[in-house]
Amino acid sequence: MVDTRQFASNPRKDLLGRDGTLQPNEVLQSRYRVTGVLGVGGMGAVYQARDLQFPEVERYVAIKEMHNLGTDEHLRKINVANFEREANLLATLSHPAIPSIYDYFSIRTDRSYLVMEYINGKDLEAILNTHGETIPIDMVIDWALALTDVLDYLHRHNPPIIFRDVKPANIMIDQYGRLRLIDFGIARQFLAGQKGTMIGTEGYSAPEQYKGEASPASDIYGVGATLHHILTNHDPRLEPPFSFMDRPIREANPEVSAEFEAIILRSLAFDSSQRFKTMGDMRETINGLRQRGKSSLVVVETESDIDEWEAHEASRIETRWKFRVEEEVRSSPLVYHGLLFVGSYDNNLYAINAADGQFKWKYPTEAGISTSPDVSPEDNLVVIGSDDGNVYGIDIRSGRPNWMLTTKAPVRSSPTVAHGHVFVGSDDGILYAARVITGRIAWRYEAGLPIRSKPTVSEDLILFGNKDGDVIATDMSGQMKWRFHTKREVMASPILYDGLVFVGSMDWNFYAIDASNGFLVWRYRTENAIVSSAAVAGGLLVFGSADGNVYAIDPKNGRERWRFKTGGQVTSSPVYANENIYIGGIDGNLYCLDPQNGNMRWKFKTDGKIPGTPFVADGMVYVGSTDHNIYALKA
Amino acid sequence: MQVLRRILGLREAPPPNEDTLPMGPPPNVAVRSAVGTASQTNATAPLDSYLPNDGRTRNLEQGPVRYSPSPSGSRLIIGQRTDVGQVRDNNQDSMSAFTSSISSSEDKPDFGLFIVADGMGGHEDGEKASGLATRIVTQQVLKNIYLPLLDEGFNADSDMEPMTEVLKKAIQKANENITTQVPDGGTTVTAVAIMGYLAYVAHVGDTRAYMINQEGIEQLTRDHSLVQRLIELGQLTPEEAAEHPQKNVLYRAIGQNDALDVDAITRQVTPGSYILICSDGLWNLVSSDEILSIVLNNGTNTGIAAKTLVDLANERGGSDNITVIIVRIPE
Repeated sequence: MVDTRQFASNPRKDLLGRDGTLQPNEVLQSRYRVTGVLGVGGMGAVYQARDLQFPEVERYVAIKEMHNLGTDEHLRKINVANFEREANLLATLSHPAIPSIYDYFSIRTDRSYLVMEYINGKDLEAILNTHGETIPIDMVIDWALALTDVLDYLHRHNPPIIFRDVKPANIMIDQYGRLRLIDFGIARQFLAGQKGTMIGTEGYSAPEQYKGEASPASDIYGVGATLHHILTNHDPRLEPPFSFMDRPIREANPEVSAEFEAIILRSLAFDSSQRFKTMGDMRETINGLRQRGKSSLVVVETESDIDEWEAHEASRIETRWKFRVEEEVRSSPLVYHGLLFVGSYDNNLYAINAADGQFKWKYPTEAGISTSPDVSPEDNLVVIGSDDGNVYGIDIRSGRPNWMLTTKAPVRSSPTVAHGHVFVGSDDGILYAARVITGRIAWRYEAGLPIRSKPTVSEDLILFGNKDGDVIATDMSGQMKWRFHTKREVMASPILYDGLVFVGSMDWNFYAIDASNGFLVWRYRTENAIVSSAAVAGGLLVFGSADGNVYAIDPKNGRERWRFKTGGQVTSSPVYANENIYIGGIDGNLYCLDPQNGNMRWKFKTDGKIPGTPFVADGMVYVGSTDHNIYALKA
Repeated sequence: MQVLRRILGLREAPPPNEDTLPMGPPPNVAVRSAVGTASQTNATAPLDSYLPNDGRTRNLEQGPVRYSPSPSGSRLIIGQRTDVGQVRDNNQDSMSAFTSSISSSEDKPDFGLFIVADGMGGHEDGEKASGLATRIVTQQVLKNIYLPLLDEGFNADSDMEPMTEVLKKAIQKANENITTQVPDGGTTVTAVAIMGYLAYVAHVGDTRAYMINQEGIEQLTRDHSLVQRLIELGQLTPEEAAEHPQKNVLYRAIGQNDALDVDAITRQVTPGSYILICSDGLWNLVSSDEILSIVLNNGTNTGIAAKTLVDLANERGGSDNITVIIVRIPE
């Protein structure tokens, strides 16, 4: 609990007589004897002084001193006149949070002084700097109400008074715990224009204030910025300006309720018209939370609404058809010329009419199929690998094999057709390059350990991973260009984008590697193995992890942009189409996500797991599930 | 059916608990994304032209190589210039250019490291800070990237420090030193390391790096300035920002505080393109379109382009120190 007595101020005697401040015991206007320094600023100091008019009692005042820094005498006179006008205005104000003004005077045009109520307390900035632990929400709410109350009073003044500089340093908490507003803009005109590159921004000012516009809405922003600082205990002056949204309040301080956070975020809107209409509105909204009780100010769990909404959303997803096979489907479907090809653990490669789900043909291999097909359009061939150790080139029209390539172990690497060749790995540790028309082997690359990653083939590189944890790049003749070693198996398929190779490993990391030499550019660590291959969606790298999240990472710098939590592991690879991301989950759902922010657009539940990758074509999304079905949904 | 096959040993059993990561038959890892798999990108078969169709493995004399070191005579070409300008008494900018090209049977890529730093602070604090930043970043990058590259048997693996991390830490190290050695000074710093056809760009502040080629000019860095934030929020136009009284206010620079967030990105650089790094003394007075045309018009004469740019800024008042480095990527 914060003890308000600790906010009592401590005037500094030792600062008197130094760096241009007044001498100790110096008497101003034959009435105010200087006893200490309360603060030092760029244009003068604030002193504690004893009022000699009351010799019988110790009556203290605060005296704000302003040096007139202008060099032009005419300008200096204008400054002093402005100062006196503002002092007169302040003297007419009457609000418990505004210190009383007693007197003002100037010494020639050099210095001006404002004599006001001495507040025994501490400013909020000092409290935040020294307090350490977070300040209790109840106390922050009290302050928020007091602050919005006094600012509302100023805004209702005729003409309205805009405070312009709401920030912790301008707010005092006195010895009784009451909030007081200090340092009215009166001093600002004395600031000389500053030149040269400078570091640091004000941190609490609204964007429009930098265009010279100040309105009640600017003060509302200042209140939001101040509350954000108090609740997160994070100084906005150390961060990019206007970046409060990047530092969610409830992440730093889980005790804050969503409602209270929403109020603060609304007051921090970049566009002033999106904030509260008036300070009074903001105060009333905070007050409304308080009236409804503590529950609105602190976190409450409300799950039921979300479940209902999700059920409603899912019902909107239309299943065009589903096709049942005899075993699990872990293979990713592929649609070509109206035909959908997909393998199943029931040994078969199926060809299904993509429009209506009608069976066309199936080809039985000698073992289960866990790989995904690829097609060679010129040769009318679909290529698939099987656990029986063979890779088959099957005629699309007849469903009969034209050729078969035999390896020495199960084939769990999905083939890639490119440059008139098929590239495929095998558990025998060999990457095969074969003529796609005949299946004749052009060359072999011996990687030693099983290759289960689908090769990625560009103009001049072939990229794949192996069980040893290597990411291997060869040229078109199968000569190794480089090898990058990770600590566990690489099952994902590397992708090539902007000169970099991106791939996840079962060592939990996602890597960006220089495509020319295999150097590590950056790495991003997830909380479990990665077998999902990345896709580029809206300029971001998207992939899943066995930690249950779908991640979006900026390819340029490896920074996370968003993540989406599913109900289980994610081994499926995402697909980007129609400005949507589609990805399956081991929780049985097919998810459709917004690539901008990872928000879920919809999900579709199957009765099994979805380890494979969806395929999107002609407004449809196709996906297999371990519930033995292939689904065709409206994308 | 499944059980029967498992007993018959026709294939490996699926993992017993499939909610843990499957270790048996792999989940599918096909890539079908906006990047496009090779099957989508190239249906013609350049491979046929040099792959013998006899089913045997053999080495080829020369494939279509894009990532190999450039042939000798075709190297990074550097133009650089720094000038005090017409108004200031001292030059607070610092710069550094380091290039290495090794022609040997070992496959070492060309390497370049280019740094511009723009110091701030009185009593020579500005030039001290920028000089220190340039020296420390150069030292750290050479120590942690370049020298390991020359080690025999250097092999990239997941234990190596990522390149972007090395650059970030180099700048953070400069920040530590400057905070203690030049407490009243500060500096921007923009460092570009080029290896082969990849550029690594790390920066704090408003010293800019551009990529220039026939397609145009692209700013690779994002100014850490108040006005840049206001532009991004739609509160200021670039024209208004150029005249803004607080256009020199940075929210991030070396010498501000102990924790320094460094922006680091990578970018593929195409053969024949340019990387240009400059302090605000140039870009405040010479537009990006003018930079583009002056650089392209001078071709491989990057030194002349650098001088022309600095002269132009001086003609327009030279209100600040002007520094520019131009690097031409080999064709």
